[in-house]
Amino acid sequence: MRHDFDFVKPASLREALDLISEGNPATRPLAGGTDIIAGLQQNAPRFTGIQTLVDIHNLPELKAIREAGNGISIGGAATFSEIRNHPLIREKFPLLAKAAGTIGSVQIRNRATLAGNFVNNAPCADSVPPLLVYEAEIKIQSAHGERKIPLQDFLLKPYRTQLQPNELVTEILLPRPPAGYSGDFYKLGRRRGVAVSRITLAVLAKVRNNLLEDIRISSGAVTPIGLRFPELEALARGKPVLPDHLKEIARKLGEQVLDKTGLRWSTPYKLPVTQQTFYGLLHRICIK
Amino acid sequence: MKKIEIQFTLNGENKSLPVDANLRLLDVLRDHFGLIGTKEGCGIGECGACTVLMNGKAANSCLVLAGQAQGAEIITVEHLAKEGQLNRLQQNFLESGAVQCGFCTPGMLMSATALLMENPHPEEAEIEEAIAGNLCRCTGYKQIVQAVKNTAAESNRLGS
Repeated sequence: MRHDFDFVKPASLREALDLISEGNPATRPLAGGTDIIAGLQQNAPRFTGIQTLVDIHNLPELKAIREAGNGISIGGAATFSEIRNHPLIREKFPLLAKAAGTIGSVQIRNRATLAGNFVNNAPCADSVPPLLVYEAEIKIQSAHGERKIPLQDFLLKPYRTQLQPNELVTEILLPRPPAGYSGDFYKLGRRRGVAVSRITLAVLAKVRNNLLEDIRISSGAVTPIGLRFPELEALARGKPVLPDHLKEIARKLGEQVLDKTGLRWSTPYKLPVTQQTFYGLLHRICIK
Repeated sequence: MKKIEIQFTLNGENKSLPVDANLRLLDVLRDHFGLIGTKEGCGIGECGACTVLMNGKAANSCLVLAGQAQGAEIITVEHLAKEGQLNRLQQNFLESGAVQCGFCTPGMLMSATALLMENPHPEEAEIEEAIAGNLCRCTGYKQIVQAVKNTAAESNRLGS
């Protein structure tokens, strides 16, 4: 049985921020509810302390997807259906559109929100690897002001972020990658629909004159949280896009994942699959 | 128990009622309105048996708090048949053998209804995607996909 809690539905962002302004951790924002309500149903310890849920799902200030600067701004409560179907995102940020389309099911995508996905910060949060290779910055607001930080710094460890109890993630800002970058997103789950990811990878690369001029690499699910691989990226930069080099990069990715997670019961399966699928991604993106 | 007042449209009628703040839309539909066509399977958004239309889009009613339905337009499986007559989608489910134990059927119908409202002429892959969030342990899905296909084909013939 779900424990007793209160529910409030503010009409504006201002009102929502006022409702959480005391910074009481028992008062939590509720967006799509696909993590919180399912968690409450299962008595997940993360949610048992909740006394009040503040519904921010339909706040108009959190819904817009629009061009901003040289990129786009996505409202924190934009749903994955909205993201997946948005022409601007499909055209300019295809890895995010693709990841959005793999999340849950139609029903989940119609409710679940972008900010909710990474504020929950499960290791398997599918939006995180693409957001990291696009170098997303997030805007966080409280009743007292706002701050902007890179998503990478916002995510601390599994289910932990920098978000304070009096704050909301209101916007996700994606700068448009410079010309010449192309990439892909890969997800492996136990099945295709409603699957929790076992492996996610995102790659964005720029190839010129058969050289890997730049590359951005991120993973999820195989690492404790979604993260970038700066050392591997540095190592890969400037290398010719030959199968042997790409294989070497893929082998090293496996080593770095293993460094971060240690040996697990799933390692004999996940390690070679991560390396092989990553090699496949690199090959498709760089050699075609 | 904390109470909240909610107002929403349910199968075309305005409803207003006080409910416990921790109830889900699913609980309100089944326990307050007796609309037991909407089923509870897993309770965590994985099986789709509780699917309803919320503002024209498929949603798991087990993952929506009652208060979140404030102002929304909710359609349940009970709204499909009119005056005791099954609609074409329901009729095609029967004719295609898409109903066996029947537990997934209301959710399947609502996911398929949402799809056909948005896309009256779906490809097979689009039908499969639309019902990917609905588990069926009896049919193997083929008959369900066929029923949706047949419904789309009929509406083509009728020129819609």
